[in-house]
Amino acid sequence: MAGSVTKIVAVILMVSLGSCRNSNTRQGGLGFPVADSVPAGEAVKLSEEAVADIVQNIASPVEIASILQAMQVPFSAGYLAPTHEADRLTTNFQKAIMLGIYGADLGYLNIYEKTGNSIEVLSTIKRLADGLRVGQYFDFETLKRLSLSKSNLDSLLFLSVNSYNQIDKFLRDNNRGSISALMIAGVWIEGQYLATQVALNNHDEVLRDRIGEQKIILGDLLMLLRPYRESSEEYNALYSMMEEISSRYSDVKVSYRLGEPETIEENGRLVMVQHEESIVEMSDAQLAEIAEKSKEIRNKLISGQ
Amino acid sequence: MKSSFFILSLALIIMPLLATGQPATDDLVSGCVIAAGENTTYLKDFRVQLPKAAPNAAVPVYKANMYLMKNMKYRFTVCDAPESKGELVVTIYDQGKELISSYNKSADHKYSSIDFICNKTGLYTLWFDFINGEQGSGVGVVCMIK
Repeated sequence: MAGSVTKIVAVILMVSLGSCRNSNTRQGGLGFPVADSVPAGEAVKLSEEAVADIVQNIASPVEIASILQAMQVPFSAGYLAPTHEADRLTTNFQKAIMLGIYGADLGYLNIYEKTGNSIEVLSTIKRLADGLRVGQYFDFETLKRLSLSKSNLDSLLFLSVNSYNQIDKFLRDNNRGSISALMIAGVWIEGQYLATQVALNNHDEVLRDRIGEQKIILGDLLMLLRPYRESSEEYNALYSMMEEISSRYSDVKVSYRLGEPETIEENGRLVMVQHEESIVEMSDAQLAEIAEKSKEIRNKLISGQ
Repeated sequence: MKSSFFILSLALIIMPLLATGQPATDDLVSGCVIAAGENTTYLKDFRVQLPKAAPNAAVPVYKANMYLMKNMKYRFTVCDAPESKGELVVTIYDQGKELISSYNKSADHKYSSIDFICNKTGLYTLWFDFINGEQGSGVGVVCMIK
């Protein structure tokens, strides 16, 4: 009960503080987005570009970290991207990619409650976000205060993930989809790096499945990046690198076993258990290759090459 | 326990002072995150505003595609804006097939949250609409259950 009350208070207070601080500067204003209205029941037929535009949650900064924590894998600062490299970044391309990479690192730090260690990452994210003119969505002072207090993890997670969501949305709404796609690619590559490095040393089926399933997600990520491929050499190089990872997945098999879902009511809440299942077949050698290529590309990106 | 209620009281006193000029949708999102309950981690929110359905026309829908992952438990919570005339509903589709909805039309019962225990990684489509095609605004929040 006490924990619940504390959570409620923490979220209310922190979001209120954060919102007030940003309310004058947010370019998104108060309005809701214009809805995408389609008649209910109509078959969903979307072009590749439209799918790419509305695909959400391609890469979450907290989901991989939460799996690692559930596996009881100890935290390792060695997995984090060094922040001192960030000062050398000059192009928006580099800043956007690194904003994503540090976002995933922040999720990793926060899930493991290493919040005191996250100040340097937070400062770097703030500088990068300002450099991309999206700093108004990143409430550094509140995040820093929450990190230092080490007591409001729920608020910290909410505010940090929400900041990334808002940045992403703002970029998409303002015809800066190329920057948003880079940020998403950065979150994905760092999550992939974390997952594969841990998987090499810890056998866990859930984590292996998650890595294997990235075959599906990588296809959409490539689709998201494709329209911007010819916009610059940097973009083209990134696209080629992601294709290299994709090629390492070519022999990974994802199949499906059919099953009827089960719906139950539990404590007044409707719960659906899905019995249709995705099944990943990935050998140790394939995992090792994917991990090696992911590491190589991630390290290339953080060194600004 | 006493200290928690002291903090809660303090928060309730301070809240109105802090709320001046605060974006309404942010209030709604944070309130909806709280409504999702304990042991959840916020992932995404969808801010929905739809017009009233025209006579004899299909109900307007806001849709979004979202990857959901195997071995994860998700909670979808919907919250209506105070001025909303309609009640927001979320329905999850997998390749055009309805999986679960927060509104049971035959029983005319609405759930504020639905849980989805995902066993198949893939791209799912979330459909947000308002009961009976009413005009409305609200927020849908997706959390993972710890």
